[in-house]
Amino acid sequence: MAEEVRQLKGTSLWRDAWKRLLKNRLSVIGLILLVFMIIAVTIGPFIILKTTGFTADYVPSQVDEGDLVNSFPPSFQHPMGTDEAGRDLLARVLQGGRISLLVGIISTIVSLIVGVSYGAIAGYFGGRIDNIMMRIVDVFYAIPYILIVIVLLSVFGGPNAPDFITALSERIGGAGNQGMSQIFLLFFALGLVSWLTMARVVRGQVLSLKNEEFVLAARASGVSTFGIIFRHLVPNVLGPVIVYATLTVPSVMLTEAFLSFLGLGVQAPYASWGSLAADGIKNISIFPWQLIFPSVTMALTLFSLNFLGDGLRDALDPQTRKF
Amino acid sequence: MRIPDKYFIKSVLLSVLTAMLATSCATEATSRFYGKTEAPKDNVLRYISGSEPESLDPPVATGQPEARIMMALYDGLVEYDPKTMDPIPGIAESWEIGQGGTEYIFHLRHAQFSNGDPIKAGDFVFSYRRAVSPELAALNGYLGYYIKYAEPYNSGFVFVKDANGRFLLKSDFEEAAADRAKPAPDSDGGTEFHKFLDSPERLTVPSTEKERADLDPKIKAAIQGKEFVPVKAEDIGVEAVDDYTFRIKLRQPAPYFIGLLGHQLFRVVHQGTVEKYGKAWTRPENIVTSGAFLLKEHRPYDRIVTVKNPKYWDADMVRLDGIEFYPLDEATTMMNLYKAGSVDAMYNHTTPAAWNEVIKQFKDEYLNAPEVAIEYYTVNVKKPPMNNLKVRQAFALAIDREAMAKYRKTTKPLVDFTPEGIFPKYEEARTKVYTEELKKKGSTLEQWKAREFDPVQARKLLMEAGFPVQQNGNTFSCPTFPVNQVDLTYNTAESNKAVAEFVQAQWKQNLGITIPLKNMEWKTFLSYRKKLEYNGMARAGWVGDYMDPFTFLNLFYSETNDSSTGWWDPKYDKMLDAANNELDATKRFEMLARAEFMVMQEQPVIPLQTQATNWIKKPFVKGMYPNPGTLHAWKFVYIERDPAKWDQNVENIMAERDPWVYQNIDRITATQKALVEQHKTVAE
Amino acid sequence: MLGFILRRLLIIIPMALLVVSVTWALIRIAPGSFYSNEKTLPPAIEANIKRKYGLDKPWYQQYFLMISNVVRGDFGDSLKYQGESVNDIIKRHLPYSATIGALAYLVALMVGLSAGIVASIRQNSGFDYGSMATAMLGLSVPNFVLGPILVLVFALGVYWLPPARWGGMSNLILPVLTLAAIYMAYIARLTRAGMLEVMRSDYIRTARAKGLSETSVLLRHGIRGGLIPVVSYTGPALAGLLAGTVVVEKVFAIPGLGNIFIQSVLNRDEPLTLGIVAFLSILIMVFNLIVDISYGILDPRIRYD
Repeated sequence: MAEEVRQLKGTSLWRDAWKRLLKNRLSVIGLILLVFMIIAVTIGPFIILKTTGFTADYVPSQVDEGDLVNSFPPSFQHPMGTDEAGRDLLARVLQGGRISLLVGIISTIVSLIVGVSYGAIAGYFGGRIDNIMMRIVDVFYAIPYILIVIVLLSVFGGPNAPDFITALSERIGGAGNQGMSQIFLLFFALGLVSWLTMARVVRGQVLSLKNEEFVLAARASGVSTFGIIFRHLVPNVLGPVIVYATLTVPSVMLTEAFLSFLGLGVQAPYASWGSLAADGIKNISIFPWQLIFPSVTMALTLFSLNFLGDGLRDALDPQTRKF
Repeated sequence: MRIPDKYFIKSVLLSVLTAMLATSCATEATSRFYGKTEAPKDNVLRYISGSEPESLDPPVATGQPEARIMMALYDGLVEYDPKTMDPIPGIAESWEIGQGGTEYIFHLRHAQFSNGDPIKAGDFVFSYRRAVSPELAALNGYLGYYIKYAEPYNSGFVFVKDANGRFLLKSDFEEAAADRAKPAPDSDGGTEFHKFLDSPERLTVPSTEKERADLDPKIKAAIQGKEFVPVKAEDIGVEAVDDYTFRIKLRQPAPYFIGLLGHQLFRVVHQGTVEKYGKAWTRPENIVTSGAFLLKEHRPYDRIVTVKNPKYWDADMVRLDGIEFYPLDEATTMMNLYKAGSVDAMYNHTTPAAWNEVIKQFKDEYLNAPEVAIEYYTVNVKKPPMNNLKVRQAFALAIDREAMAKYRKTTKPLVDFTPEGIFPKYEEARTKVYTEELKKKGSTLEQWKAREFDPVQARKLLMEAGFPVQQNGNTFSCPTFPVNQVDLTYNTAESNKAVAEFVQAQWKQNLGITIPLKNMEWKTFLSYRKKLEYNGMARAGWVGDYMDPFTFLNLFYSETNDSSTGWWDPKYDKMLDAANNELDATKRFEMLARAEFMVMQEQPVIPLQTQATNWIKKPFVKGMYPNPGTLHAWKFVYIERDPAKWDQNVENIMAERDPWVYQNIDRITATQKALVEQHKTVAE
Repeated sequence: MLGFILRRLLIIIPMALLVVSVTWALIRIAPGSFYSNEKTLPPAIEANIKRKYGLDKPWYQQYFLMISNVVRGDFGDSLKYQGESVNDIIKRHLPYSATIGALAYLVALMVGLSAGIVASIRQNSGFDYGSMATAMLGLSVPNFVLGPILVLVFALGVYWLPPARWGGMSNLILPVLTLAAIYMAYIARLTRAGMLEVMRSDYIRTARAKGLSETSVLLRHGIRGGLIPVVSYTGPALAGLLAGTVVVEKVFAIPGLGNIFIQSVLNRDEPLTLGIVAFLSILIMVFNLIVDISYGILDPRIRYD
């Protein structure tokens, strides 16, 4: 039903928004960069494998005696240099991008779907429902999530993993790739906490909007509760929602890096941007490229995402006048 | 729109510039010292000691970070030699070993606690009984099990008395008891207690019916209807012969026991304080210490401030006015503090692996020496395909350990189960034994040494095991090998990851098998490995508790052994028992080496490397050495103000003789040497 | 309003107990125990430890004992740091985290709010883009990267500030800046978004129509409504900040509660984890209550019945 409604009045709204977005040069740059990044991490590793033979986990068999260190600065062969084990950093950054972007996207989707509807429902109904729903959020906040992750991994990871997780990870990661099931659990665990603040932010906004005239008018004209929440209130809080969603991505990526640091995240030899940066910072005074390339890649992506988010916010806001 | 792009570009540039500025500031390898290097004005050493100590109560604290602090606060019968970690006299001026290596008599000097109370033999009796008491439940309590009846006391066991008032003996139920050489009872033993300790060992059994269910049926039948007498603290084999003579009776010979007595579990505590304040006795306001330093302030996770103890028996020698311990474990943070000149030295394994090549250039500061610690992979011998010896051997042979040592930069290749370069006498004996044993098998020591890396043999073994390796050009593949049944599991740590990735690559390149890596949070990993839930291989490290190869070989002892491999052979236990009953050191080492040879033939573990100490100290800190355990007898440490006398080229520090340090070692060890001499002349 | 506050305060106690119970169950499910280590303990020693800490009793007895102690506010002694009571540990380490956290949030609020407000007024101006880009920089440079970089420059490059450890005022500067960066960015961006949303709402239009000057519209009406997303975010963020932030505490070797909390979970130090969790959950709920009350003050349209 929602689909139908959007179709009905949506064509012009979305086309307008798209037009406005295209006028915003920064957003367009952001969009292009983001698309480029997604393409790069998707097919990049294959291209590198085909052209140079390097992969994210390729460790040269012989340690070169002539050199002081195994980490080589950027060169024609290794555009981003190599890490301590002599692995091609470009290959690692691209492979790490897969995990980081996936973590970011999944958590954002969870926080957009669960967080927004949860917060909007709690805020709109108010009273006891609001109270109960928000206390549940409080409980989630207070339970230490590393503990949740440890328990998740010990119960569902390893030899005790339910068959469907093993089956799923084998389908995606290839046979015997147990590391994948841990990544799925990581996505799940991050999704579990990523919607909490979003729910609070949306609820706060809805609380202040629900007594506005347009809501009263909608109610008076017999729009269903569902309709009021999702067609009238949610579109009006999109600004903070989009901004907060773009803020969720970096924070989730960093949480992932922290969990990886504790041994609860991505499995070696694979890395994520966060864990690459964490490794890089330790060696900053000796091998600066190990920090600079992953961090700049990550920062560029987050910048693009953010400018796209801003552009989207402005584009979806019919009252923003553009010059 | 007003061209905002330039801000965007600017901010990107800014981030790159910041990073570059930072690096330019940081790389200044031209100077002679690493960072700020000035001797502190006061005579206080600032030392990073590792993670926050669990406790300042010596038997309660378990780890090495704790040991380093305990060594400042408490003294024991013996102290570790600052270089070799051999036992040198502490509160015991000298000692004698008798009764086939089961009796130790210590002659104490007139030492004092920090509150002025004398330290007498009774204080050691109290400290030792407390250390193994079930109420204290010290995690390290098992180190005291060598003392007669300490284990049954700690386990809450009971003696069994028959109707005639005679206690049942352990030997009544041992088949081999007859041929075991029984030590002759000490004729001049005065007290009842002395006689009790020297009499044959009594039988002890668990105190509850439930636990007794698992007993040998023969014993079960024999104890039926007999009276049970609990083993009390007063029964354990420690005795104050007089105020300054302390006797320890062991349940069996343990030639390494004297070296164990430097451990914090055996350091002396003040009875009055412990009893008065209970668990709060280690607070700075209550604590009474026996070591060279006093506790002044303890701010957990921040600092432990100690000052010189003027009542210490050797206070004249102590040159530091105090030590500040900083409980930190973040490598980059401590390197920063070191570079900024806020700390003077740090604990072992603190120089980040990647920094080594740079830090190594500071020849006056970087300390690296073999450590009494090994790293290896345990193999789950219970699960296929690793239950096949040939597969285990193939995986062990396919790792280029020489390359790994180069890659890790500090460690040494390891193919056996005892660390290389730590026990030179043992290694001598081992070479001899191995040559003999290999001859029997029609092999030579040279062939055996090739185990360090032999990919051809590895592929051959794998083929024999039914997993042929195919060669395609430079690469190999082994399509029949069940990769999904084998993992390499390790607990999360920078260095473990690096080693695992390296080994994974080695197997991939030499065998054509990609073993999945799996990292786990520490406690999860421990339970996973211990319960043998892992498939294939799991990472393990072992740090010796004392300076004897037995501390490593012991890991495979008994059916419930701690090797986490599932491997056990009763023959191995017998070999170790026999070795420890041997009084001649060389013969004993040869017997131990035979046991080691046997276990390595079975390859339940894949040895990787001997660890290295790998830490730095400022050149003005003297008397501090990269000894095998990185445990420093703090009274030998001092701060040298004259730059001309600072430590130089510390690579050779173990060979150099600091006159002041040696003068003191000679002074301290003189009494013990004299006693040994005296015994020799009497014997002659 | 008073009834509302009272009800909310009362519910904190059962909620905290719920959180403690769930956490307790999670710790029990998690593999390993506080005494597990590389060396397997002989069974006798393990039995002694279990007896000493009452772990040999059936689980429901242990649970009820734990809950009844928690209700009395007594969490017992830490298992890892023997002889230290959990309450003492929290009391001792909270001030470090709270000082850093409060200072960082204050800095973040001041900078973030002003940047956000100005950016929203001058939407799409150079300032807007510049400040938002800077904010984004603060967000996309993880604090485990920012902290060490600040140290490299200010403590090891020029030796102006100490590189780590607790001490005088100068020791506070780097950790506070590192911590503030992310929150600054959050606040700036949320303020800007909230302000943009509010400034086009009906009541602002009414205020404008009444002929109020733009400044007073902004100050008296705009900011109040525009702050709501920031306030929503502040509740949990501030609670988390006061109770410590692991990364900054680790990088700067600050003996704060955040690191101790993580360590307690990794050490399976049950009483300590439960104590901090209980404390944290109360803190979160109190802060969220304050947030809800301040909604009513900030925006007259929000009412609680």
